[in-house]
Amino acid sequence: MPGGDFHALLFVIVAVWILVCGLGVVLFRRIMYSAVAMVFCFLGVAFAYALLAAPLVAVIQILVYVGAISVVIIFAIMLTEVQTGRLELFFNRQTAVAAITALVGAAVLAVVSLSADIGKVGDQSLTPGLRQLSRLIFDRYVFPFELVSLVLVGAMVGAIVLARREGERP
Amino acid sequence: MNALFWWLLVAFLLFSIGAFGVLARRNVILVVMSLELMLNAVNLALVATANFRAGAEGAGVLFALFIIVIAAAEVAIGLAIVIANYRNRRTVQVDTYDELKG
Repeated sequence: MPGGDFHALLFVIVAVWILVCGLGVVLFRRIMYSAVAMVFCFLGVAFAYALLAAPLVAVIQILVYVGAISVVIIFAIMLTEVQTGRLELFFNRQTAVAAITALVGAAVLAVVSLSADIGKVGDQSLTPGLRQLSRLIFDRYVFPFELVSLVLVGAMVGAIVLARREGERP
Repeated sequence: MNALFWWLLVAFLLFSIGAFGVLARRNVILVVMSLELMLNAVNLALVATANFRAGAEGAGVLFALFIIVIAAAEVAIGLAIVIANYRNRRTVQVDTYDELKG
């Protein structure tokens, strides 16, 4: 278990939270319940970032995922929900295959990460501070940074074009 | 068993849960949500590795931030496609999306 006693306790709480909410997302019959579970799962991941000494990523996670992406997804659910009586078949016919694939995938990943040599692993926090991170963004990774903003603009324009009705002026 | 492994295990399990959702659910919006779970799992693995592995020097955290931005773009595009398709077909079930089938 990671770190000291208190840290280990927090780890267990956050891990159980993330996994239970994640299972809720894929197992709830009503999609709105799934959406709420997803919001709590994102919150749990934000806490995990905070525990991993990456407060900037935790804040961005809450801003972007809990704030923006969840709202967009809930809007899409409300725009498309057609629930007539009982929810009939809500899993595909390939559920068994999907479950086996997911379990085997998790097992393979765990085995590989256990046996892989990923170099020296410390127990202390090695995450960079805000100053070092901003220097990285605007110095060494400035080209990917600008490229990402270009992608974002393109995606926003594309989303508007796609969701617009035919012949409708924006 | 070091601390990093336990964090990675959580990330792998979350990734598998998301993969199960993508493969097994019929509602296409739920498929998008499961995809988000998978992206979150990848981010968790990146940040955990950046935290415990010496010499990563912030690249893990930075890539996690980039992935968050790309995921936002992906959700916007994906849901726009879902809405456009729903307007034509009146359905959000993935197994009815077979117009391109030969």
